[in-house]
Amino acid sequence: MSTATDNESPNYEYVTARVRSRRAVLFDDDDYRKLVRMAPGEIARFMEETEYEAEMDALGSRHSGVNLIEYALNRNLAKHFDDLLRWSEGTLYDYIVRYLRKFDAWNVKTVLRGLYSDADRESIEDDLIDAGEFSEEQLDALLAVDSIEGVVEELSSTIFGDALAPAYEDYEETGVLIPLENAVDRTFFETLLAGLPEEPNRATELYVEFLHAEIDFRNVRNALRLARTGADIEPSEYFIDGGRLFDEDDLRQLVGNRDQLVEHVRSSPYGDDLDAALDILEDADDLIQFEHALDAALLEYADKLSNRYPLSVCPVLSYVLAKEREVDNIRAIARGREAGLSEDEIEDELVIL
Amino acid sequence: MAKDVKPTRKNLMQIEDRIELSERGHDTLEKKRDGLIMEFMDILDQAQDVREDLDDSYQRAQRAINMARAMEGDVAVRGAAAALKEHPELTTESKNIMGVVVPQIESSKVQKSLDERGYGVLGTSARIDEAADAYEELLENIILAAEVETAMKKMLEEIETTKRRVNALEFKLLPELKDNQEYIEQKLEEQEREEIFRMKKIKAKKEKEEKEAREAEQDAAEAATAD
Repeated sequence: MSTATDNESPNYEYVTARVRSRRAVLFDDDDYRKLVRMAPGEIARFMEETEYEAEMDALGSRHSGVNLIEYALNRNLAKHFDDLLRWSEGTLYDYIVRYLRKFDAWNVKTVLRGLYSDADRESIEDDLIDAGEFSEEQLDALLAVDSIEGVVEELSSTIFGDALAPAYEDYEETGVLIPLENAVDRTFFETLLAGLPEEPNRATELYVEFLHAEIDFRNVRNALRLARTGADIEPSEYFIDGGRLFDEDDLRQLVGNRDQLVEHVRSSPYGDDLDAALDILEDADDLIQFEHALDAALLEYADKLSNRYPLSVCPVLSYVLAKEREVDNIRAIARGREAGLSEDEIEDELVIL
Repeated sequence: MAKDVKPTRKNLMQIEDRIELSERGHDTLEKKRDGLIMEFMDILDQAQDVREDLDDSYQRAQRAINMARAMEGDVAVRGAAAALKEHPELTTESKNIMGVVVPQIESSKVQKSLDERGYGVLGTSARIDEAADAYEELLENIILAAEVETAMKKMLEEIETTKRRVNALEFKLLPELKDNQEYIEQKLEEQEREEIFRMKKIKAKKEKEEKEAREAEQDAAEAATAD
């Protein structure tokens, strides 16, 4: 993995050209249509003839069935995102790595959850996705730790260190992982927008616009979940700062009244993009379909931004989202087929643009 | 067995008392059995509904967890499940249905709100909420099914026992007692007849002896007169 220095200039042309070619080999509608009709064994064989061949071969001796598919998907995702970091330089590297730290957050949470539920090292390792900023050595060191306290100590020199230390005290007091998980997620979102130039150029503006959308969509999603269950949780527990749609006080008021919350989103700058999703929510009260619609809207938004400014970080982020979505879709199909879901049920779960 | 009973009047009276008691017991047990069957039919209807709900909620829960595993991945689901700190609590009491003690199960902390489940809102999605909701509902239905089906099983056992008792009275004890009663009555009647016969015989013998004595006296008187 390369590391960027401040004096390096961003190589948008090179990276966006490579990303375009990578994007071209992502599965399309026809591939999904075929996959939905296949049994898990057939899906595995199909994947052996595609982009995922190397990972399927490498993991074939250790895993089988849908687990093989899932681990191959994760490893392939890691490889592609690692390539993005390897190719990029300067601020582009910085922007990409900020976003890909979501996998570092994922890995930290996975190790914490694994230790909390007494899972063995091997099964924790299988679930890691080596696509973030952490090196293999850092991940190995995390896996070698055998207590939650050890994980917090191990991470003290990383971006998660400052937030994890006080969260660990809460964890010791309450015995639940929420403070630690929230600290990790919050650190990821806070570092996304931290330290950006005060007078950003157009590329950075678009990057920030995209991140605002992601944070806003995440806040809408969580607010609606809370509005549905009626749970009385302090916004500080689930609200992510940095979006344009809400502040903490707005959210505290809106969570108690779902109709007002929906109206607030509808009248926001995202209203047009989320119109269809909000209709689904109001008509069918189906939060899952609304989340799918939000994911689709975010994908579309990223595409729109990348088309408006092709030589920016936006095409890269749009590719990251599309690749993640591909992995989610294939995993949903394979797990869905394994669980005996019908083709229609599986198709409802896919997000395809 | 009728042959083992001494055919005495005292025994006959005792057997008559036992027959009366057994018949009263038989009627009472028959009423209890019919009552239990009626209660059982009510519980059976309820149990069928509960079983249907249980099947439905199990299907829903399986689907929800499969979808959560498909969309969120296995590790996220396992992590969210392991985060639970406050486990559901069950308390059992008992209630009496026609003499049958059946359990009454009270549950608490089964249905939880989002803030009581132990997993963070930031790092999870509605899929996990849906799976948790579905499993909480399944658990409620399992508890209800356990209560209703245990009551049903206990009622069924009691019906079987009562039915066996009714049958034992109707087809074994009462017929035997009636046989004994009949046997003793016959024997007593026979004894009575024998007694009457014997009395008659004695009477006839006595009359014959008296007659013979009278005739002998008459003969003796006549001989004395002739002398």
